[in-house]
Amino acid sequence: MSTSASFRRRLWPYVVAVVAVAVSLFPIFWILTIALKSRMDAFAMPPVWFFSPVWENFGRAWSAQGFSGAFFNSLIVCAIGNVLALAAGIPAAYYLNKRHVPGRRTILILLLISYMLPEFLFIVPMYVLFQSIGLYDTVIGLALIYQVFTLPFTIWLLRAFFADIPEALAEAARLEGAGTLRIVWTIYVPIAAPGIAATVILNSIKMWNELTIALALTFEKAQTVTLAVAGFRGYASIDWGAMSAASIIIILPMALFAILAQRRIVQGLSLGAVK
Amino acid sequence: MRRDKHIRWLIAPALLLLAAGTLYPIVYSGYLSLLQWNWGSEAKFVGLRNFIRILSGSGFPKALFNTFYFAIFAVVIETLLGLGLALAINRIRIGAGLVRTLMIMPLMVSGIAVSLIWKVMLDPTLGIINYLLSLVGIAGPAWLGTVPTAMPSIIMIDTWWQTAFTFIILSSALKSLPAEPFEAAKLEGATPFQSFRHVTLPMLKPVLITIIIFRTIDTLKVFDIIFGTTGGGPLRATESVQTLAYQTAFKSYKFGESAAIAVVFSLIILTLCIIYLVIDTDDGEKA
Repeated sequence: MSTSASFRRRLWPYVVAVVAVAVSLFPIFWILTIALKSRMDAFAMPPVWFFSPVWENFGRAWSAQGFSGAFFNSLIVCAIGNVLALAAGIPAAYYLNKRHVPGRRTILILLLISYMLPEFLFIVPMYVLFQSIGLYDTVIGLALIYQVFTLPFTIWLLRAFFADIPEALAEAARLEGAGTLRIVWTIYVPIAAPGIAATVILNSIKMWNELTIALALTFEKAQTVTLAVAGFRGYASIDWGAMSAASIIIILPMALFAILAQRRIVQGLSLGAVK
Repeated sequence: MRRDKHIRWLIAPALLLLAAGTLYPIVYSGYLSLLQWNWGSEAKFVGLRNFIRILSGSGFPKALFNTFYFAIFAVVIETLLGLGLALAINRIRIGAGLVRTLMIMPLMVSGIAVSLIWKVMLDPTLGIINYLLSLVGIAGPAWLGTVPTAMPSIIMIDTWWQTAFTFIILSSALKSLPAEPFEAAKLEGATPFQSFRHVTLPMLKPVLITIIIFRTIDTLKVFDIIFGTTGGGPLRATESVQTLAYQTAFKSYKFGESAAIAVVFSLIILTLCIIYLVIDTDDGEKA
């Protein structure tokens, strides 16, 4: 009796885990099956669980107007956005990691405010500005505006990683005549490499999945993959196959990230919230 | 000191980007909100008329109500569910890493894909959800299609999407708690519930507050999953402040009015953040 009670006590967390995993994955699994179903199977009622998979939906999604171009635009925006965020964020994190530097508090508050602001507060001014200086509908413009959220996050996270690096290392290098930039580059960056990786991964996920700003600040040339997927909304009642395939295409790179870098993602998310 | 002079340059690029991306838009939105300006036409100074119009009309108050309705339910459900899951799954010995990897999958999915997935699943006649419900004899509702069920559906979708965030953070926080207080509680004969109530919860409080602030800000800014599913309908039942700002700026091209919406909404979020922070520091001083 008492053994079965203690067995039950040890068992229930596993039951919770199985249910939680099933609920988390089922919608993604289900959309994957629809992406692999023929038109007939996709609309079958009751739903069919066993079917012979077809690949034509992925072909139709990928070759839809502007889809592949949008996919590569998003890759480029992520790349440029990450370079900008690190180039400005690493030195800034080093600076703000020091206690007695001018403007530290003000800058930290400014970072919080830019995270807090609703997108439409800066979208309309940026729309006007970008139209007049030729950055509207460009990947560069988008990567620049994404700094509104990637930069605060980068600085916030890297500051937490830099805080764990002993000051003595920098002092020793300084005595040997190394300049500040050299210290950042040769000491802080290598030691905080796992933190930088976590930052790049989380920033990439945010930029890859971003919709609101891209919707307002691009039109055609710089359309991102989220907008290409959004283009299938209207087809909801017509072409579930291509719409589901498009959803799978946008999920796939990020799902791979999650599998390959689960520990970094967890570390980055927790540090961002806890420190 | 000489080296302080050099170190100042380190912050310059970040400051430049933040000033351009944050300060300039704040000031410019403030200015725009005083104009009557349809993109492409002549701008006219109208004072506070945009503010009076949005506050006395029906669109903005309705959107504000919807947004808070969504945010309050989503934040409460996601925080409690994430806490429950973290408590349960942290007791797992075998496969905990795998469980966490699989559970963060929804977080990786872009809001627009989340929308399409759930639109397909919640389809009243062909969707899997209503089919599964019919197996147990329940006639499923039209979910996103009717006024009373649309917003709860959006809350459900957000819960599926974002609970992993609260779960992951609380799970890491639980793992990092020191063991001594728990042992002391056990020695004093505390029940598991007492130990949770008087040991775990107080130690988790700072993290819980942080999570609630993050999730409150994010849910108040909700856009993607509404734009992608209902577009604000039916009959504006799911219109949020941000979808309204989008409609006003990029469908009606009323830039001044849209800026007024954004300014009022930013002030509301700012006030909320200040209240949270004040409560947080007050408690910190008492403890």
